[in-house]
Amino acid sequence: MTLTFALAIFLLLNLIVALVRVARGPTPADRLLAALLFGTTGSAILLLLAEAMGQPSLLDTALVFALLAAITGVAFARRAWREEAPDDEPR
Amino acid sequence: MSLAELLGDALLVAGAAFFFAGTVGLLRFPDVYTRLHALAKADNLGLGLIVLGLLLHAPGWATGIKLVLIWLLALAASATVGFLIARRARRHGIAPWRAGDGE
Amino acid sequence: MSATLAFDLLLIVALVWSAARALTVADLFRGVVLLIVFGLLMALAWARLGAPDIALAEAAIGAGLTGALLLDAVGHLRAKREPGA
Repeated sequence: MTLTFALAIFLLLNLIVALVRVARGPTPADRLLAALLFGTTGSAILLLLAEAMGQPSLLDTALVFALLAAITGVAFARRAWREEAPDDEPR
Repeated sequence: MSLAELLGDALLVAGAAFFFAGTVGLLRFPDVYTRLHALAKADNLGLGLIVLGLLLHAPGWATGIKLVLIWLLALAASATVGFLIARRARRHGIAPWRAGDGE
Repeated sequence: MSATLAFDLLLIVALVWSAARALTVADLFRGVVLLIVFGLLMALAWARLGAPDIALAEAAIGAGLTGALLLDAVGHLRAKREPGA
């Protein structure tokens, strides 16, 4: 029980560190990659929480996390990323 | 504590280590393609290991099948999104990083 | 400090930070990404509060659908601004 919770805290720390990439960029794709990381890592956190808190229904929420990370990524790649933002130089 | 539970705990810790590797890659790698690579591979392997670890703790078949389904969905999703973003980045003319480019 | 309290405090800090950044950042696209991040963190918070149904709704509507629609809107805005400029 405590191990799963400790790992959930560790993964949450990972997420917070990944926010640095959202802030730094440099291209729009880099910022969105951090959001995709939130999808995978978030569903892992939810799986661990479902075990630690004894709530199996959290598994469904993890399923939705994994699904919506995909929808966001596809919407970004197909519709949103047309031009570089003025302050983002491509590298 | 039984052997299966010990093995499950070890798998959970290994999965968290892979997530850590993915985050380090996202922060330290030099361009979009390498970051995408770190994110897609390391994180999905980490999720897979965590799913395996939780399978050994799982109370019943229904929970286990749902766990495996979550992993398969995450795999398909990250493969699709990784391909789309890399292709779009290439169309935008972002050159892949080469050794000696700095950073 | 117990493990649950540490988790909750970290979650609160990340929530407030991402909400504040999403409101104050100048670039629209960055704001949308931060809103998606905020939605996912909020879903985690609902899960911690013991409400998996609301967490599901927040992840699906708050982060997923709104995020995709706003990303699309940002793309349309950029495409519209480009030929006129």
